[in-house]
Amino acid sequence: MKVLSALIADTFQEARARWLFRGLLGLSTLLIAIFLFVLKIDLVEGAISFMGIESTSRHIWDIRHFVNVSYSWVSIVLYIWGTFLAVFASAGLIPTVLEAGRISLLLSKPISRPMLLLGRYVGNFLVVATNHIYLICSIWLIIGIKTHIWEPRFLLAIPISLLIFSVLLCVVVLVGVITESSALSVMAPIALMLISTILAARGIVLKLLSSEFSRDLWQVLYWIVPKVYDLGNAMKQIILYDHEADILTPIWTSALFGAVMLSCALAVFQKRDF
Amino acid sequence: MLRRRHVNSDYAIQTIGLEKVYRSRWRGREIRAVSDLSLRVPAGVKFGLLGANGAGKTTFVKMLLSAVNPTAGTATIFGRDAREPEARRPVGYLPENHRFPTYLTGSGMLHFYGSLSGMDSHDRARRVPELLEQVGLKNWGDVRIRKFSKGMLQRLGLAQALIHRPRLLVLDEPTDGVDPVGRRQIRDILSTLTCAGVTVFINSHLLSEVETFCDYVAILKKGQLALEGKMSELLAGRGYRVTGQTAAGEIIDRQLPTREEANRFIDQIRAGNGWIEAVAPTVNSLEDLFILTTGDDKAA
Repeated sequence: MKVLSALIADTFQEARARWLFRGLLGLSTLLIAIFLFVLKIDLVEGAISFMGIESTSRHIWDIRHFVNVSYSWVSIVLYIWGTFLAVFASAGLIPTVLEAGRISLLLSKPISRPMLLLGRYVGNFLVVATNHIYLICSIWLIIGIKTHIWEPRFLLAIPISLLIFSVLLCVVVLVGVITESSALSVMAPIALMLISTILAARGIVLKLLSSEFSRDLWQVLYWIVPKVYDLGNAMKQIILYDHEADILTPIWTSALFGAVMLSCALAVFQKRDF
Repeated sequence: MLRRRHVNSDYAIQTIGLEKVYRSRWRGREIRAVSDLSLRVPAGVKFGLLGANGAGKTTFVKMLLSAVNPTAGTATIFGRDAREPEARRPVGYLPENHRFPTYLTGSGMLHFYGSLSGMDSHDRARRVPELLEQVGLKNWGDVRIRKFSKGMLQRLGLAQALIHRPRLLVLDEPTDGVDPVGRRQIRDILSTLTCAGVTVFINSHLLSEVETFCDYVAILKKGQLALEGKMSELLAGRGYRVTGQTAAGEIIDRQLPTREEANRFIDQIRAGNGWIEAVAPTVNSLEDLFILTTGDDKAA
């Protein structure tokens, strides 16, 4: 535990020293500031006031629905924005620790290789988690204070965003361990996010594909790749309508993908010579 | 398949049939970096490992510290399989071309590596200032490492290797980039440690330094152990140099291989009323021995 804490603390220190992570926190603050500004402008004030008038005869929208729509869209923006930025910010943390002269010294310490890699992984995850909690809770507080409607379902964006980040971080770790390249460590998870979005359109695509093989291949790929799009969509539905969306399937399939990636990363790291 | 034979914990390091073959994934080419290397380093000695570039010294050290997985053979540290993390607990290591995290301060770095070695915070809090003073960096503890010169980094690296009071120090080019005063300081620290029973294993290019400091030496050639033994035995007893003057005023300067021959020669000079100026036992320098052993004149 002492060793794990030291590795996590070291990752935090490195994250603090790297401009990329400072930038991540800065951008989150900027987003919060923009949000504050947007809620302050007359148009939004007017809309909120209008919908808050109980005596109006035209109840096309009620205020709660309006706020929930806002929450759901904001959660999607934060989900995509936060995941992209977190992947970019994390990409260098594995290759830097594998630099010759640094890794050989770390490996000479009485710690196992899996512990070393997991310490780095957990440290990286916690850094991003801190940022996500700061960002999403701030936005939640701002909307809550402004509208006096506190919707706890919005906070679901924290675990869902962190879950998908933890899965993509497994890919970052695997690519980093194999190639030691920061650029590839960014490209691979971003590509997966895009592929996941394309594969999620299977309802339409499966009808368009004429070959049985192509349809099967699409289905197989859909089930293998982490479901970034499906998770985001399910989160949005839950926040908006508070009804049971199928969130468990994208969660367990994505988590399984992440577990396989991390296991592969640990196996490669265990066998590699440095 | 790793071979398991008898290992002895009296040795700080013991390797049996250690081998490393690097295979090119695509071309299928094999490079045998270390081949059937069996070496014993007794506990408490100062041991120097030498070899030409590419002789396998670094691979050997990395196998010992589990940065490289051996293809065959075993390596033990104080009797424990070197692949076990616990076997590395009594080891302090200073790698060549180290890359310390530049975002840390001098003392921050020592705290970090100390905690990885299992030290608690109280012990580290006592040990860190003590070590910084010992390596001459007393006033640099709060300065970020990126501002350190190469020599200072080397001394900080030594402090890092010593933080958890190791029983075995593995040093790869410990005085690289250090000025002569600093070198002396490092040698003094290492000598103090060996007096306290710490085993010092040095992998160095500086033959003169190994010759001055170490009492055991091993020379690797093409991944194999070419020579191993006590420094005094390997270098001493190689002959006698007799200098003087004959009765006719001719200068004498002769190198004789044995004591008997030297005595016979001295008798001849004295019988001819000549003068003996000096008789001195001659030894090979480590450089001579190195070149003789490795069969080329490349630096170690």
